[in-house]
Amino acid sequence: MLIELKDVAKRFGEGSLAVTALDDVQLLIDQGEFVVVLGPSGSGKTTLLNVVGALDAASAGTVRVNGVDITTASRRELFDFRARTVSFIFQSFNLFPGLTAWENVQFGVDAAGSDADPGAVLDSVGLGDKADRFPSELSGGEQQRVAIARALATRNPILLCDEPTGELDFRTGVQILELLQEQAGKGRAVLVVTHNREISRMADRVVELSGGRIVSDGAPRGGKTPVSELNW
Amino acid sequence: MRAGGLLLKWSWRDLRAHWPKVAAIAVVIAIGTGGYAGLTSTTEWRTISYDESYRRLAMYDVRVDLAPGSFVDQGTVAALVAEIPSAAAVSALAERLIIPTQIDASTDTETILVRGSITGADFSGDGPDVNSYHAITGRLLSQDDAGKPQVMLERTFAKFYGLPDSGRLAVSGDRAVDFVGQATTPEYFTVAPEGEMFMSEATFAALFTTLETAQSLAGASGQVNNLVLTLGPDADRDSIVAELEEAVASLPVGATVLTRDDNLSYTALTTDIDQDQAMFNALAALLIAGAVGAAFNLIHRMAEQQRREIGIGMALGVNPRVLAVRPLLVSAQIAILGVVFGVVVGVLIGNAMATVFTELIPLPVWETPFPTAVFVRVAAIGLIVPFVASAMPVWRAVRVAPIEAIKPSFARGQALKGRHRRRPGTTFAVMPFRNLRRSPRRTMLTIGGIAAALTVLMGFLGIMDSVFGAVDTAESEFTGDSPDRIAVALDNFYPIASPQIGAVGEAATVERVEPALRLPGSLASAAGEFEAFVDVVDFGGMWRPSLTAGEVGEGPGVVVSEKAAADLDLAIGDMVTLRHPVREGLAYRFVETEFEVLATHPSPLRGVVYVAMEHAGLFNLDGIANTVNVLPAGGMATTDVQRELFDLQAVASVQSVTAVTDAVRDAFGQILGVIQVMVFAVLLLALLIAFNTAAINLEARAREHATMFAFGVKMRTALRIAMTESLVTGVAATMLGIAGGLAMVWWMTSRLLAETLPEFALPVVLQTETLLFVVIMGVVVVAVAPLLTVRRMRRMDLPGTLRLME
Repeated sequence: MLIELKDVAKRFGEGSLAVTALDDVQLLIDQGEFVVVLGPSGSGKTTLLNVVGALDAASAGTVRVNGVDITTASRRELFDFRARTVSFIFQSFNLFPGLTAWENVQFGVDAAGSDADPGAVLDSVGLGDKADRFPSELSGGEQQRVAIARALATRNPILLCDEPTGELDFRTGVQILELLQEQAGKGRAVLVVTHNREISRMADRVVELSGGRIVSDGAPRGGKTPVSELNW
Repeated sequence: MRAGGLLLKWSWRDLRAHWPKVAAIAVVIAIGTGGYAGLTSTTEWRTISYDESYRRLAMYDVRVDLAPGSFVDQGTVAALVAEIPSAAAVSALAERLIIPTQIDASTDTETILVRGSITGADFSGDGPDVNSYHAITGRLLSQDDAGKPQVMLERTFAKFYGLPDSGRLAVSGDRAVDFVGQATTPEYFTVAPEGEMFMSEATFAALFTTLETAQSLAGASGQVNNLVLTLGPDADRDSIVAELEEAVASLPVGATVLTRDDNLSYTALTTDIDQDQAMFNALAALLIAGAVGAAFNLIHRMAEQQRREIGIGMALGVNPRVLAVRPLLVSAQIAILGVVFGVVVGVLIGNAMATVFTELIPLPVWETPFPTAVFVRVAAIGLIVPFVASAMPVWRAVRVAPIEAIKPSFARGQALKGRHRRRPGTTFAVMPFRNLRRSPRRTMLTIGGIAAALTVLMGFLGIMDSVFGAVDTAESEFTGDSPDRIAVALDNFYPIASPQIGAVGEAATVERVEPALRLPGSLASAAGEFEAFVDVVDFGGMWRPSLTAGEVGEGPGVVVSEKAAADLDLAIGDMVTLRHPVREGLAYRFVETEFEVLATHPSPLRGVVYVAMEHAGLFNLDGIANTVNVLPAGGMATTDVQRELFDLQAVASVQSVTAVTDAVRDAFGQILGVIQVMVFAVLLLALLIAFNTAAINLEARAREHATMFAFGVKMRTALRIAMTESLVTGVAATMLGIAGGLAMVWWMTSRLLAETLPEFALPVVLQTETLLFVVIMGVVVVAVAPLLTVRRMRRMDLPGTLRLME
């Protein structure tokens, strides 16, 4: 298994102010899976993503990703883990405004020490002709595609996407989801966090969270739907 | 009311969240305003202190000096004064006896043999009515001490050598006298004996005693050779000087009438205050410019970080005026703290400078009032700047549609645009430069602030380097091939074959002697005139000046300093007027002679003029000498020679030829104290700017850092990027600061000090250590400033920062 979460809990604060964001989470994700984590605000879906991506530490339980137990890893090992195993795609893109599209993708190469060609990766997301543009010169959808290209350039096996279409219109959002789905087809595990139930229809698997607990885990209701049939 | 309370509470939370930055920016303002107030107000308190000190000790207005070695009966000159037409305008007078001497103030651990003088004055009644004394330690003499071998020791000399409040020393003829205290008098607020520079306390000791004691020590009972007088408030000093000159012409000996403006000690302290102030003003202007620029930049950036919240507030329908209050409250906190700290800094700098000056110049009155008027003016700047710095981004935020204010910074056109060449290497190497280019105004303000601080730093240090560089040049010139050379000044003119000069040559500690002449005079051309002293030396002897242009041939002529040639607009072969003494019988008369400029020498002392010994006849001094250059015998030190020659009656002083430069070096070493006070303030300023810039950068780029960490970029890489950015800023600021510093030093040496200290040639000299220090401060310290943010970087809430929607 690429991702294994066993008895994972995450609590914020202490005493009477303590909030349980994740509770008794068991989750297994294999490579090539396109998993949508669904849930309302405060259900713990982003926390789950952060725990898998080692941005946050679990309060209890075990998290093994790509064979590494990140719950016991040192700070240095966690940096290496993030560099070589997971790649993030954020709702608000988080591109470096001082770098061009090409350079933002090159950043992914530099961070992971991969051998990807930024130009080719940008071509693959349809932005080869905008390689020398700065983020401020790109539309929201283009910026998110650059962010995806940056993540792809790392060649890491896991893509962690936090509301990747949250700032985009429907049409652009669909393009982004198609891109992500392609990555699963290429053997990467893609974990998409969203509150948009419509998006979950395109997933191989939907993990639904409520109050920090997994309340359902399986194929989307009504079966997997092609992206072109989504509508929100 | 409730909104006001909320804003205050919110502002209080802002202060708690940002108090290190608020305090640091307040200190930046404080250093600028307090430093400005401290530096620009020296004229005020120096003038107050000098005037009151001269008034309290009744500095003379006019002085009559008899020719060296001449005496008249006590009362003779006073009687002449009483007969001049304006006698009623004379408010007080005192006849004195001033005799040159050698002084042995050696202690158990140090040999102190220096040239000096004994000034005898009338201590009856309340002491001398003119040029009275102020005891700093020990006690003042009184008429009860008349005739006793008791003296007061000039304070700066005693302090320089760390002598006790009372003790015993010896004067020429190995006569022991007891000093009962350390005192000062207006002519010695700074020690400036004739023929030497001011601040000569290391090489000249003045003893003050009763007239009777001085007469006894000089073997001149009932004789005087000096008179000083003060004038009433409405007196016409020039007329009285003219009347006195006419009156003293009747004396059987030569006499010169001088005013207090002819006294180097007085002019060095008073007439140059304004020019000193011009230098301090320039440095203060840079200091405040650097501080204000830096504070403006930092506050501006802090306020800009609230832009999004202002946008949200506007979107929620809050009145923009209300929204503007919060950032302005932070400005108010900074402004108030800045002014409060500024008072503290101003007081500290003022006190530090006053302490240094007090140590340097032992005035009886030192008044250093807090420069309230100056501070109020400059504090107004300190109050206004934070508001203007905040108001600009707030104004920009409230003028646009809420959505524009909410947009992230790069979407507001603050990012780079256009095509950029891809550069080799990793993006980590590109990022620092792009970050700087993203906000050129902010980058320039940061560079400007640090550069201004470094300019001031280099200005302070460079001026000292230039002074010490000139001293080194002078020392190198004086020593030449004979670094052990000792100058023996005689108390009068003696034939070279006289027993007095013979005795010097026969001394066991002396290997070789070479008689020479040193004469007072002045140099003049159509371009100007200034005091000079003429050294008549044997150009084929043990020492000769090095020549930078021209050559010394057979014919008569002078070798002048390069500075003299420049000031008098002289070229080699030009004629220059030398006013010099000529012997007539047993007396001397000043005449003006045209001399050809044969060559120039590199000494920074403008007034040094050399004439070849074979032309001593021009002064009617063939075969005569008043100084002897001496080389010590093998194994003998200067102190051995001093000890042996000290006992010879004709010897006025025995000093290494580097004694003067040593004294100047020591004197300027004391001034270093003033410089160090300011250097400390400037360093603090530069550090605060660097730290605050790094801290604000960290906040502004928090999301970029968080993204890097999310991609597994290590903290050291993120720090390296931040440090490279700081390094580039530091390098640019340092280059600008060095350029500014060089311009500052050039202006101070070539323009300001050329007027303040025209007697010295001060080339722009920068020691490698100074440059290194400035580079270390500007480059290294600024570059490593981001290290101070490591703790905050480590504690960064990664998920929270990444999800932050700008």
